[in-house]
Amino acid sequence: MGALGLNPTIFAQIINFVILFLFLRFFVYPFIVRMLEQRQNYIASNIAATEEERRQAEAVHQQYLSDLQKAREEAQGIIQQATKTGEAHAQEIIEAAKAETVRLKENALTEIAHEREKAVTELRNQVAILSVITAEKIINQTISPETHQRLITEFVKEAGDLLC
Amino acid sequence: MKSIEQIHEELNIWHFPHHPWEVTIGNMHLAFNPKTLIMTWIVMIIIAVFWVWATRNMEMKKPSKKQLLAEEIFNFLRGLVNENLDPHKGASIMTLIFALFIFLLFSNLWGLVPTMMSPTADLNTTAGLAVMVFILVQILGFRYRGGGYVKYYLHPYPFFLPLTVVEELAKPVTLAFRLYGNIFAGEVLMAVLLSLIGLKTFYFLGFLPHVIWLAFSIFVGCIQAFIFTMLTIAYTARAVAEEEH
Repeated sequence: MGALGLNPTIFAQIINFVILFLFLRFFVYPFIVRMLEQRQNYIASNIAATEEERRQAEAVHQQYLSDLQKAREEAQGIIQQATKTGEAHAQEIIEAAKAETVRLKENALTEIAHEREKAVTELRNQVAILSVITAEKIINQTISPETHQRLITEFVKEAGDLLC
Repeated sequence: MKSIEQIHEELNIWHFPHHPWEVTIGNMHLAFNPKTLIMTWIVMIIIAVFWVWATRNMEMKKPSKKQLLAEEIFNFLRGLVNENLDPHKGASIMTLIFALFIFLLFSNLWGLVPTMMSPTADLNTTAGLAVMVFILVQILGFRYRGGGYVKYYLHPYPFFLPLTVVEELAKPVTLAFRLYGNIFAGEVLMAVLLSLIGLKTFYFLGFLPHVIWLAFSIFVGCIQAFIFTMLTIAYTARAVAEEEH
């Protein structure tokens, strides 16, 4: 023992170390542990809060998506409705246009018939007058206006019967 | 060239007594190494001041440099303990590991201050710590495994008992001598360098070997503190571990 330099200092050193150990144990160690624990709790609570927020965000996102889907469906419905209405409306307009066309055509036909009537009447008168004048020239005598008028009327009547 | 004794004499500017302090209690004569004891007390005071300074006014969100240093050392040690022991058992020796590592680290480095000496450069210190660790390991082994720990000595056959006992006793011995040897050799080599290279060559880069050796001693001091702590953890882990088969 003596050769190694071992002497009662060994016990003194153990006691010294135990004193140091107790000092660190009660005046240093708890502070470090407390601080680390505090930080750990802080981080853990932060993580928990973040996860909670993320969960909420997820819920909001889902809500948003379903809302969007609903809105899309509604829009689709509205468009279909509008298309249907529009088509019906177009059909109506076409129908009305067709009816109008038919009416116009009938009107035109009536007008044409009327004009034709008028023209025929006029032509008859003109032909009668020409005939009378020609006849006058031929028989070389004057016909009294009354006779003239009577002849025209008769002629027109006969001719009308003939033509029509 | 001066002898190492002369160098030691020149470096002893604080006039430490060369002879042990003799104390007589009853009929027991006790001798204490004065330099070792005084250096230990100085180191203890430095540790107390530094750590109290480092762990006051701690901020959670914006740690200061000293606080970060304290926390990092603590986390480093806790990591070592938790890697080797399950956290519940680890917590019980964590305070001891913490104190042990800090004491060894500061002790080893204190010897690098000129004219000072590492408390760990005295075999009494390292042997004291090693014996303490040895006893602690035995106590923890019995506490956590009870009778199972006795079986460890008789494993795999009872006649292996002497071998196991030698193996167990070798642990504190190697623990003590490894640390003592490294630190003491560091201080001896520094004295040797001082005796080999005189002051006259000091101005011609004669101080370079000393500086290099000092730098290396810082490394050795940290490593040896780490090894001692790590082995303490490992021995404890082996003693308290449940049977694997």
